[in-house]
Amino acid sequence: MQTSKINLMKKITLLLTLVTMVTWSTFAGGYQVRLQGQKQTGIGLIGTPFNFGASSIFYNPGALSMMKAKTNFQLGASGILSNVTFQKSATNYQAHTENPLGTPFYFYGARKITDNLAVGVGVYTPFGTTSKWNDDWAGRFLVQNISLKAIFIQPTVSYKINDMISIGAGFVYAMGDVELNKALPYNNNSFVNIKGSTNSIGYNLGVYIKPIEELSIGIDYRSEVLMEMEGGDAVFTVPASLSTTISENNKFSASLPMPANLDVGFAYQITEDFLIAAEINYVFWSVYDSLNFTFEENGELLNSENPRLYENKMIIRLGCQYKLNDKFVIRAGGYYDPSPTNEDYFTPETVSLNTTAFTFGFTYKPMKNLCVNVSYLHTLGSETDNSYDPGNFSGTYKTSAAIPGIGISYHF
Amino acid sequence: MKKKYLLYILVLALFSACEPKIDEFSPSEGNADFTTYLAMGNSLTAGYADGALYISGQTYSYPNILAGQFELAGGGAFTQPMMPTEAGVGVGDLGLRSKLVLGMATDCLGTVSLGPVPFDPAPDQLEYLGYLVTSVAADGPYNNIGVPGIKSFHVLAPGLGLLNPYFGRFAANPATDMLIGEAAKVNPTFFTLWLGNNDVLTYALAGGVIDSITPEPIFSGSMDAIVGALTANGASGAIANVPDITTIPFFTTVPYCGLVLTDEADVAALNYGYAPLNFIINQNGGDTLAFTLGANPFVIADASLPWGVRQIKAGELILLSIPQDSLKCAGWGSMVPIPEQYVLKADQIVAIETATEAYNDKIAELAGTFSLALVDMNSYLKEFETGMIFDGATYSTQFILGGLFSLDGIHLNPRGNAVITNHFIDAINAKYNANLPQVIIQDYPGIQFP
Repeated sequence: MQTSKINLMKKITLLLTLVTMVTWSTFAGGYQVRLQGQKQTGIGLIGTPFNFGASSIFYNPGALSMMKAKTNFQLGASGILSNVTFQKSATNYQAHTENPLGTPFYFYGARKITDNLAVGVGVYTPFGTTSKWNDDWAGRFLVQNISLKAIFIQPTVSYKINDMISIGAGFVYAMGDVELNKALPYNNNSFVNIKGSTNSIGYNLGVYIKPIEELSIGIDYRSEVLMEMEGGDAVFTVPASLSTTISENNKFSASLPMPANLDVGFAYQITEDFLIAAEINYVFWSVYDSLNFTFEENGELLNSENPRLYENKMIIRLGCQYKLNDKFVIRAGGYYDPSPTNEDYFTPETVSLNTTAFTFGFTYKPMKNLCVNVSYLHTLGSETDNSYDPGNFSGTYKTSAAIPGIGISYHF
Repeated sequence: MKKKYLLYILVLALFSACEPKIDEFSPSEGNADFTTYLAMGNSLTAGYADGALYISGQTYSYPNILAGQFELAGGGAFTQPMMPTEAGVGVGDLGLRSKLVLGMATDCLGTVSLGPVPFDPAPDQLEYLGYLVTSVAADGPYNNIGVPGIKSFHVLAPGLGLLNPYFGRFAANPATDMLIGEAAKVNPTFFTLWLGNNDVLTYALAGGVIDSITPEPIFSGSMDAIVGALTANGASGAIANVPDITTIPFFTTVPYCGLVLTDEADVAALNYGYAPLNFIINQNGGDTLAFTLGANPFVIADASLPWGVRQIKAGELILLSIPQDSLKCAGWGSMVPIPEQYVLKADQIVAIETATEAYNDKIAELAGTFSLALVDMNSYLKEFETGMIFDGATYSTQFILGGLFSLDGIHLNPRGNAVITNHFIDAINAKYNANLPQVIIQDYPGIQFP
């Protein structure tokens, strides 16, 4: 028992070092990242119809009060290895991103106060994108590199009405950071750096239903979180003779919506050891209509309205789980995640293409109270012709992503 | 557990190397043969920019950029008669000059502002003449035989090299050679031909005071002979037409309504000063001169009027060559009429546009007869009046900030040359079923700001 606690502490230290370099790379679905639990990731990123302990805080707060243990902690992270290749229309020009490793992470802690009432808190990272192109690439006037990240903190309460139904709700406090570089069409090495952070609030509501022993149903709604940034820093690097036209230090305002999600999932226990599950996620992406920048100085020259015209999309997921023995559970899944982007308003800052992906995972239980959960997600490369019409920038994009992940769950 | 982390790191390393693959562009020549490319034309073809012919201007000439793309589809080496210096040599009002660069200049009012200034403020005339006339014929013949200043009929004129040192420097026998003879020496399989600009431009640059517009029959006869000679050995090619020169920054930068009066006393003084003249004009039934607070049309000289003076009308153009200090401090445009050599008047503009249309009809006819790719520069340049966007940057015919033209307001900068190279490529691909890749415009230098 004592050694396992020490091991646990070591792992926490390791994962926290990963957290300090937390960035994401886009691998699907706009800038949303659903890698908020290793068990769920392994089973096709399905979460609502499960009672996987404290990670229900993100996937379905309704299921939290159904957890079997009295206290549960979960901690984990994934490593997103994703890259994009771009072939510019009508040219022999190709570019590749040099994306850094993306490391979304989560931490959940939950405790049952009574048999029917559970409380918990989650810290997780449901949105983010990183695209790092070369500074002198052909799309440099649109973006050179961007890093967008959000950390959500969610205190949660869940109540079990009876053995068949439980409900839950969480309050979301969100912190967001954005940094963006883009080149300016003057001498080489003229560029603007935009940087800012903000916070916002939202909520997460869920219902978990178990009409019969073999079947479970989950419904979850996570609200939109609108990140509004005021007074962010914009630093313009331009030739000296233009410094009277474009001042070096400026402030900007912009807002970016993190869309609402409605998830409905089913899980069915075919045998005692074998389970299948399906889920749909409806993502309300249409809130991302335009990305507008307003500058404090030189606004007439610098202010911009940049259409994005995202569309609402539905993701379909399938998965299964098999319990090999008391120590091993294996999982597999797959999903189709259609891109919310508009083909005529597609920018290289968020290269989101229609994605088909497969997932695998397992749980290893070295001792009674501890689970080690490992997942692996692989997207099938899709190739799409897209254009950003307002900038007359078009070409073929292809992405690939491989995402290994590991997490631990400790309960008592 | 250590093993698991090792595995984790191994997997990371494995996938970080993986990069999605997209089929690469495959260039092809189609029905054209780019083995030996010849570029014939005027200053635009030669790579003249910023008021001079200089090394990097030539390096970024559209034929040189185009030859680089031809090379991907079977094209061979492409040579140009390079100038000896980066300062270059241009022909200005006061003799030979260097190229222009963007710099800070102090005007007669003591105001310091950003504008074109000479790279070499005091060019040694003998030295510059030496650069201009030193023969490079020994390394010829050249693939780029663009000659600054030439008109259509000059191509067929024996001894052009004596009148035009830009040809003389690469002609084997300047006193007798015709420019068209250089084409025969190169014996191209593919050519580009862009001529006719100077047939109207030389007249326009002088405000119509000297020189004259080439009559259409002379233009047409010359072009028939030139295209006939270029295609004699079965070469295919592309022919570009003449842009509407009155849309280039040289003619559009100084506003006609640029006499801004902010003081009632100045308004009164001007109206009082022109009162006697207005009395005469009124008696003869002409347009009187009137001044109000705010923007007023400049006062210009007009020899066609008995009293020789009027205010400029909307649509008439003031040339970029006008001495700015004379406008600001010597009363030009108000008390002193702007001399005719700095103004294009309505009838002159009509004459230029009529001639340009006639030339372009002839060029279209030649493209049809000889089955050449027609590069419609006239329509294309018009699209830039309101601005065209490429890869997120806007390009327009605006002076300096428009990003297309060089500091002389007439010739293109390297990015402008890249833009028109892509227009050539589109026309060639369409005509010859070729697949030449376009160039990335912003990879070429724009105007350098200090």
